[in-house]
Amino acid sequence: MTAGTLIENTAVASYDDGGGARTINSNTVTVRVDELLDVTVTALDPGPVSTRPGDAVLTFELTNQGNGPEAFSLLANPAVAGNDFDVVVRSVAIDSNGNGVYDAGVDEILAAPQTTAVLAPDAALTVFVLVTVPDGASDTQISAVDLTAQAVTGSGAPGTVFAGAGVDGGDAIVGTSGAIATARGALIVGMASVELVKSVVLRDPFGGTGAVPGTIATFTIVARVTGSGTINDLIVTDVIPAGTTYAPGTLALDSAGLSDANDGDAGSASDAAGIAVDLGDFTANASRTVTFDVVID
Amino acid sequence: MKIFRKIMFAVAAATFALPGVPVAAQAATSPIVLTGDVKAVKITTAPDGTERTELTEPSAIIPGDRLIFGTQYHHSGTEPVSNFTVTNPLPAAVRLAPDADPALAVSIDGGKTWGVLAALTVASSDGTARPATHADVTHVRWVLSRIAPGAEGRLTYPAIIR
Repeated sequence: MTAGTLIENTAVASYDDGGGARTINSNTVTVRVDELLDVTVTALDPGPVSTRPGDAVLTFELTNQGNGPEAFSLLANPAVAGNDFDVVVRSVAIDSNGNGVYDAGVDEILAAPQTTAVLAPDAALTVFVLVTVPDGASDTQISAVDLTAQAVTGSGAPGTVFAGAGVDGGDAIVGTSGAIATARGALIVGMASVELVKSVVLRDPFGGTGAVPGTIATFTIVARVTGSGTINDLIVTDVIPAGTTYAPGTLALDSAGLSDANDGDAGSASDAAGIAVDLGDFTANASRTVTFDVVID
Repeated sequence: MKIFRKIMFAVAAATFALPGVPVAAQAATSPIVLTGDVKAVKITTAPDGTERTELTEPSAIIPGDRLIFGTQYHHSGTEPVSNFTVTNPLPAAVRLAPDADPALAVSIDGGKTWGVLAALTVASSDGTARPATHADVTHVRWVLSRIAPGAEGRLTYPAIIR
């Protein structure tokens, strides 16, 4: 029931006094519903947000659980006990266009002291905390950020009364939340790195492993991604060594042949351009193997 | 004609003023007077953990709080009256509290039909029916077959702010 609602109660009696039916009313008693101050904050990110050093966004939802229109002051605290590192809070923004995603230049950045607009009872607001992850952060490190929302009218122990501070001059009463709520969001640093290991096996025309004209050298390049996160559009290239000639039709990815032409498949190879294989998106701890042959001139 | 109009206006004004007429003025015409009141139920917990329930003047009233609406009746006439029925529409902002007297006559359809809550059902749009709940109650009613001269009493129902 919204704050300021008037509850009016009147009883009606009817009776028979021998001269017929009579009806009388009681006086009307009135009680005004006062303003309840309650708030919840929830982290909307399903888990730690994967990030690299640089800018990152944490997403929260604030709900006015009270029964009156209320604004809330916001405080983002990056110094949480147990953090591997602390981020820098750049700003707190409101999801102005309501799409649930932070849009730079569109979503309103709150000026200090960060305070929301007045929210209707039960209204929810998506809040973004914009942070910068320091360069010193390393792979798999985690950092938490707390966002606290507090009713502007006041907060405190449940039941605390702010006389006259509610809707229509009624009282404002702190609800079970204490009119203050905190939610914790977290970031995890995911820094993938690529490792390429190249090896060569020689087969000379005489069944040995000598490096003589006509020897076939099979190069193997193993690409491995370590750390965490994803590498996008990884392309492995290599040149054909001087004094050798590419053996046409020998380019392969994970033992599956690739055509030499620069066409629909992942690879291309030629004497002049060397080899190139597009490994696409690559998740951590996966590995792929590129092989090709050259003939020693 | 002009005079007649003036009289009409006077009557209209009197009619409009009637709900505001003090109880004392009604008493001149009715031997029975109804006096309504409302109390808030505040439960305080003592340091030793025991709970105490107090009835207080309502202040700082928020959803979920309990109110007791009371109606005091007093028969100051000289003749007994019969079929004394007190009907109390529930304000929309409250629901009947679950610990209300199960024998209390209630209506869930705006006062058209009456019964004890356990005997009432609410029809849904798909043709099925569910048992009525305290939140469905729109009116409560007390019926006293006879009130002797000088008798008085108090009728109450507990409510919870929605």
